[in-house]
Amino acid sequence: MDQLASTQLLLSALVLASIYALVALGLNLIYGTMRLLNVAHGELMMLGGYTSFWAFELLGVGTLWSMFGAIALTAALGALCYVTVFRYVVRNRELAARLESNSLLIFFGFSIIIQNGLSIAFSADQRSYTYLNGIFALGDARVELNRLAVLGVGAAATAACVLFFRFSRLGLATRALIQQRDAASLVGINADRIQLLVFCVGFGMAGLAGSLVSMTETVTPFGGFPYTISAFIVIILGGLGNLTGGILGAVLLATIEIYGVALTSSAYRSILVYGVFIAILFLRPQGLLGRKMR
Amino acid sequence: MPDPLHVDLLRVDLLQAKNLCAGYGEMEILKTVDFSIREGSITAVIGSNGAGKTTLMRALSGLIATRSGAITFDGGVVSGLPAHERLEKGVALVPEGRLVFPDFTVHETLKVGAFSPRAHEGWKQRIEDMYALFPRLLQRKQSRAGSLSGGEQQMLALARGLMSRPKLLLLDEPSLGLAPMMADEVFRQLRTIRDSGITICLVEQNVQAALDIADYGYVMEDGHVKMHGPAAELLTMGSIRESYLGL
Repeated sequence: MDQLASTQLLLSALVLASIYALVALGLNLIYGTMRLLNVAHGELMMLGGYTSFWAFELLGVGTLWSMFGAIALTAALGALCYVTVFRYVVRNRELAARLESNSLLIFFGFSIIIQNGLSIAFSADQRSYTYLNGIFALGDARVELNRLAVLGVGAAATAACVLFFRFSRLGLATRALIQQRDAASLVGINADRIQLLVFCVGFGMAGLAGSLVSMTETVTPFGGFPYTISAFIVIILGGLGNLTGGILGAVLLATIEIYGVALTSSAYRSILVYGVFIAILFLRPQGLLGRKMR
Repeated sequence: MPDPLHVDLLRVDLLQAKNLCAGYGEMEILKTVDFSIREGSITAVIGSNGAGKTTLMRALSGLIATRSGAITFDGGVVSGLPAHERLEKGVALVPEGRLVFPDFTVHETLKVGAFSPRAHEGWKQRIEDMYALFPRLLQRKQSRAGSLSGGEQQMLALARGLMSRPKLLLLDEPSLGLAPMMADEVFRQLRTIRDSGITICLVEQNVQAALDIADYGYVMEDGHVKMHGPAAELLTMGSIRESYLGL
């Protein structure tokens, strides 16, 4: 039981929670605003990861700088993706009626294109690099600096996004659009611009998450899928479209994973994660902070 | 007092629709509607269910696209503009069924009501004005819009529309689902709002009440304007008394 109270385990859980929160945030924003299921979210992370890997290998630029490049690259891809495909899909009434399932197919296509594009360009080799690997001692816990960086940047970026959508004028407009599209345009909100913003922020946060993860994990073209799954679990746990709920879901999932595995063994990881997931869906199908369908 | 007829001639149309056609998908609901709203007036649109009254409001506000015909507002053509750009020019719609933002508080709703650039200046003072006009909303300031009663939601939708500093306020069934006393209060407020210089056009099931406060009226049937004229005249016409007032 001593082991459970250790700072080491707590830190691991917090690091994992901050990554989950950041990954889920982007997915949640895009789903909440437009009802689009972005199954290519993990692939965007890998794009961010490769950006930081190559910046480090070729240019010697550290991740704490190259993460801005990763955000810029994925945010630009988000803008491109919205302008070329989704702007028209959302506008067309017939297509919009089947938007959720159509978006699943479109993003699935994106995911295959990104995965294979990355393997053609960079081969399927696992890539990793050593950066900020000094050890920081916190009481009896030893933690690598890069993991602390993941925690710090991940938590700060998540908090910044949540505060932006909670308190800024554009954030107010985004939340209005999420609740009632027609009423939003009747108070003068330009849905097109808000949707573009959401795509950029959502994709950009995935790129940032990938960039951060590349410091501690290997990057491969096909490494994004587990993150997509985790992100879906997180936002379903928290309540689809609910940003604060997403943070709660991330903490919950990370806690189950880290403490559950510490109590049992890593062989039980999936059983624990999906077991709790299904149990919560039985008790609260709308998620922890979600509201019942009106 | 100037001669009423003379004043009438001086008045200008704030909004004009010519040969307006609009609908949803395959369905054509409005079939060449000619329609105009005089500046400073209250205009009532009446007609049976399915006559196209709501579609007319949605087309005028820009929520649905114009198929053909033209809408001019305040001297410019607006038929090609989406709703948020028409709001910026001063056309606000209080939609049927209120369409409130269920998770926003009353206060947040009023704040987002002033989202457009034209409404930004002095929005804080305007929120206070709204609380003065609708004291009930002040009491429910921190309540979620979704938890309000029907009458309160209607007031909130009206206040939200006014927050945009409109020149023309379009109202779709403002008294729908309200208790008679509440409905009377809404109609009284519409007069106050008009007297403050905002032109009003409303669609109503309650024909008597609508024509009582209106200056001018339109009767719609099957996507057309069947007749129009001064409200007081429409109220005395036999066909209207029979079809819509049940007299």
